[in-house]
Amino acid sequence: MSSVQTSHQAVDVQGLWKIFNEGSNNEVTALSDINLSVKPGEFISLIGPSGCGKSTLLRVIGDLTGATRGEVFIAGETAPVAREKQLYGIAFQQAALFDWRTVRRNVELPLELQGLGKKERRERALELLELVQLSDFAEHRPWELSGGMQQRVAIARSLAVDPPLLLMDEPFGALDEMTRERMQNELLRICQETRKTIIFVTHSIPEAVYLSDRVIVMSPRPGRITHTVPIELGERNEDTRETDTFYAGVTAVREALRGRSASASPPRIEEL
Amino acid sequence: MSEPVSGKQRGVTRTRVQRGVISILWALAGVVLVVLMWEAVKFLGSFIELPINTSDTSMPHVWTMVDAFSNPVVRGSDTTVLQAVVSATLTSLKIALGGFTIGVTFGIVLAVIMQRFAFFERGLLPFVIASQTVPLIALAPLIVGLGNRISFGPIEWTTTYSVMFIAAYLAFFPLSVGALRGLQAPSATSLELMRSYAARPNQMLWKLRFPSSVPYLVPALKVSAAAAVVGTVVAEISTGVKGGVGRLLIEYARETTSQPAKVYVAVFGAIALGLAAAALVSALDLYLTRNLPKESQA
Repeated sequence: MSSVQTSHQAVDVQGLWKIFNEGSNNEVTALSDINLSVKPGEFISLIGPSGCGKSTLLRVIGDLTGATRGEVFIAGETAPVAREKQLYGIAFQQAALFDWRTVRRNVELPLELQGLGKKERRERALELLELVQLSDFAEHRPWELSGGMQQRVAIARSLAVDPPLLLMDEPFGALDEMTRERMQNELLRICQETRKTIIFVTHSIPEAVYLSDRVIVMSPRPGRITHTVPIELGERNEDTRETDTFYAGVTAVREALRGRSASASPPRIEEL
Repeated sequence: MSEPVSGKQRGVTRTRVQRGVISILWALAGVVLVVLMWEAVKFLGSFIELPINTSDTSMPHVWTMVDAFSNPVVRGSDTTVLQAVVSATLTSLKIALGGFTIGVTFGIVLAVIMQRFAFFERGLLPFVIASQTVPLIALAPLIVGLGNRISFGPIEWTTTYSVMFIAAYLAFFPLSVGALRGLQAPSATSLELMRSYAARPNQMLWKLRFPSSVPYLVPALKVSAAAAVVGTVVAEISTGVKGGVGRLLIEYARETTSQPAKVYVAVFGAIALGLAAAALVSALDLYLTRNLPKESQA
């Protein structure tokens, strides 16, 4: 990964609380005292059982929902300012492509909303479609593409404004295992080419281990970060998924999810 | 990577033109069937006692009706019944179109307001629904009465405007309800996506909400068009405005004893009016859904 010299963390979350229906009978503490710093160019995964608040954390970072207490900074800007300035791109489990637009014009959407000229945004979109290897499908309609291809269009769209940060909420969750592994490799390749910081929400332990520099393990009721598992797999390739380091990482994350620390396994776990 | 799921399976699915031709043939077969049944009932009625009167005065033969097309409107007149009906139908069509346009515009504006401000949805929707429970017949004289006191400078409010108003009044309702549902249709994910792009409210409306509402808008337009036509004809009758097919229906119905087939020519005019409205909406449908997956089309 690149070593971009900035005075700011890519993402900085300080003492973050998210409480739904605060003060009423059905009060739910979705996030309690979250502290998280992400370095520029780092790939981190948020993993945990349903209801642990990992998606909520992603949404608070993206200012799609507000924080109850605490602060979120993206590249030194507060979350609302970062959203206004388009400092992040986002991709969800559903590709959420607009049926009435061609693939190219879906990728153009964020640029169009920014008021970029027709020619420039067309060029940019075609460039991105090349990056996700879908140049041949630029003028197709989204519903003519397979699920994996739609998700690649969604990734291209999230990169449209060239944001330093990508927020990804289980983007491969609805794909079959084979497509999923291909998409993971593709995502890593895109990351290398574009040098983005990524926060990736997932349910899958192998996926988190394979993709990340760091896996953040979360636990529900109240949603909180319990463990941070650093992963040191180096350059990923076809064989990475069968190495001992990979298995050790998977074991470490699994143990952390169970609430135990695997003392014997090589990657150390930082108890919080 | 996986192959695209092909949207075009030629050979299995027919082209739009082919499907169009086939549906026209089916429609013609339907007309033939109705004619045959009509004549069959008449034929049967000449042998046995049927609960309906099948005499030539009540149920003229189909060929008598066709014949009546070319009859003069009144004895010695140069205009044929057909000409009179066509011109009356065109007059009604203009009124219905005007009412439809006003109703659709108003319906969409209302839906946008209700979508944008939840307060208005709670406050307005009950009135919108209540507005449709007032019978048209009760409303017509009221509107004519009120309308007679309105004048916009040089433009004078005529009863024709009242008829148009009533057509619009009937047309706006299905549209505003359908459009409201459509505007509320975008998925939570699409809305979050737009929010992440810091989209302004008007961008939200034009780039997401309006395009998403099309599948809801098309059936609503169909209902609205029908409502505008029915509204026009019924309002013409109840306000007694001259020139339209509604008035013609009443006039010709009085002549059934002497010319039983004449009223049916006016009925055909009313049917043509309905068909014209349906054709207009189908054209709108084709235009609006041109970019959408073919499965989603009704």
